[in-house]
Amino acid sequence: MDNELSSLSIIFMEFYYWLTVALMFLIHVGFCMYEVGASRYKNHMHTLMKNTMLIPLVTVTFYLFGWWIYFAFVNGPGIIGGLAEAPFATPWSELMGTHMGGAPFQSTLSADDTAFWARINGVFWAAFLLFSWTAASIVSGAVIERIRPSAFWILAVIIGSVTWIIDAAWGWSWNGWMVQKLGYHDAYASGVIHAIAGGFALGVLLVLGPRIGKFRADGSPRNINPHNPWLVTIGLFLIYTGFWGFYVACNVPIIDIYGSGVLDIAGRHFFSATNIYLQPTTLSAITVNFLMSLSGGLMAAYIVSKGDSFWTYSGGLAGVIGASAGNDLYHPVQALLIGAVASIVAYKMHYWVERRFKIDDAVGAVAVHGYAGFFGVVVAGFMLWGYPSSPFDSYAPITPWGQFIGAIIMFFVLGFIPAWIISKILHGMGLLRIPREIEMVGLDIDSEAVRQIEADEVAKAIHAEANSGA
Amino acid sequence: MATGLVDSWTNVDKFGAVYPFPGSETLMVLLALVVWLGWHIWQIKEENAEFKADVEKIKGRGGVGKVLDEELQREIQD
Repeated sequence: MDNELSSLSIIFMEFYYWLTVALMFLIHVGFCMYEVGASRYKNHMHTLMKNTMLIPLVTVTFYLFGWWIYFAFVNGPGIIGGLAEAPFATPWSELMGTHMGGAPFQSTLSADDTAFWARINGVFWAAFLLFSWTAASIVSGAVIERIRPSAFWILAVIIGSVTWIIDAAWGWSWNGWMVQKLGYHDAYASGVIHAIAGGFALGVLLVLGPRIGKFRADGSPRNINPHNPWLVTIGLFLIYTGFWGFYVACNVPIIDIYGSGVLDIAGRHFFSATNIYLQPTTLSAITVNFLMSLSGGLMAAYIVSKGDSFWTYSGGLAGVIGASAGNDLYHPVQALLIGAVASIVAYKMHYWVERRFKIDDAVGAVAVHGYAGFFGVVVAGFMLWGYPSSPFDSYAPITPWGQFIGAIIMFFVLGFIPAWIISKILHGMGLLRIPREIEMVGLDIDSEAVRQIEADEVAKAIHAEANSGA
Repeated sequence: MATGLVDSWTNVDKFGAVYPFPGSETLMVLLALVVWLGWHIWQIKEENAEFKADVEKIKGRGGVGKVLDEELQREIQD
């Protein structure tokens, strides 16, 4: 920090990630509004608190072990190597606290470690944390109105601080084994956040079962309508807003691709924004592609759902998610068309799965995130076939089969299977689902009763005052 | 098989367009036009059908006056 230009560069990067965190907060405001609106009134406060409390739980566990997993698990471990060293990411590391970049007192760190990580570690951790919250929140919507909050919070920690961050180590880092060996490419997390969260939600839903009254005796589904459809759509709109922060946080704002951190070629310089794989892209390109894939999703979903507000807004999101794997490189019209197809896939698959397998996904989370995300990863394999997956030439190129295997790993191996196993364990212990009586009357039974008593008491006091002649 | 001009990022400072299928820009613009205009045409047709069906429903319930009276009664009860 003794040179103004390099200090400016470091502090710009620090500020950049901080800003993305503030923007991504809106995703969670949106999720809360969306889920509260989607629930029936009798459950709305418990629904709010279920989604709210994943925030501190995932935060604490991401601090304790999530961040370390991201760096330590790049090789599997046991797939292409063992556990990688990550002394800056352990919870007891001096670099997890306020640090001015000077020489370390812990022997596990070097002066280079502290000089590099001191100002970046916290904001980088926070950006990833917000992705972790998002993974857990996606699952939260699918399981409303019948999951026990305590069970959900265990599942939230598993996806938020364990399974998604393993998938990020594998397929969303500059040196993850999936990138090296499969050429896996997923710039804005179609698979690493959305497909895995959708798969995870499906694994839980299969064990949790549908809400009481969702399916008729003949197996046909009933619509359980949101108590506030306006709140649902505004919530989705806020999720779009926060998604801007998500996209920007997925990039590295500025790096010298020929510099010592990347290709290390003497005498050459090329400063650019890059994606997480350190491949060049521009903020300009992803801004256009985000808007075009959102537009494709909205337009297609409006048509297939005949203007239904919930599905139109959800389709917009599915559009962005479907194009995200390759939105660093797609032409805007490609993003538009891929977004449109992704939202149709999400809508059609949701209802097919609901009818065929009797899955009650209260908000279409499996479809919008899981199926659209899976689609997005696979499509990128065809659209970007032959592209290098990394600036490092030894890495496998992007191919349809590499992407397909990657999508399977995301949706099933790290998403569906762990969720199903843990849900089965919780169910076996009687901890997964709320009692039937409470589900039928409503989770907010106690708080509503107290509100009623208090309202009556205030009304009586006012009447008494009015009648006293005072 | 390669859908784009990028086969290695080593010479990143030499690259221009990096999106897949360069050279197909005219086709992509045409597709975007088809999507845009096609959406408007679909919407107008759907809207016509929807409004026609809704007007028939209102007539079937006894006309505008009757429907408005029924809605007022419902609001009063609520």
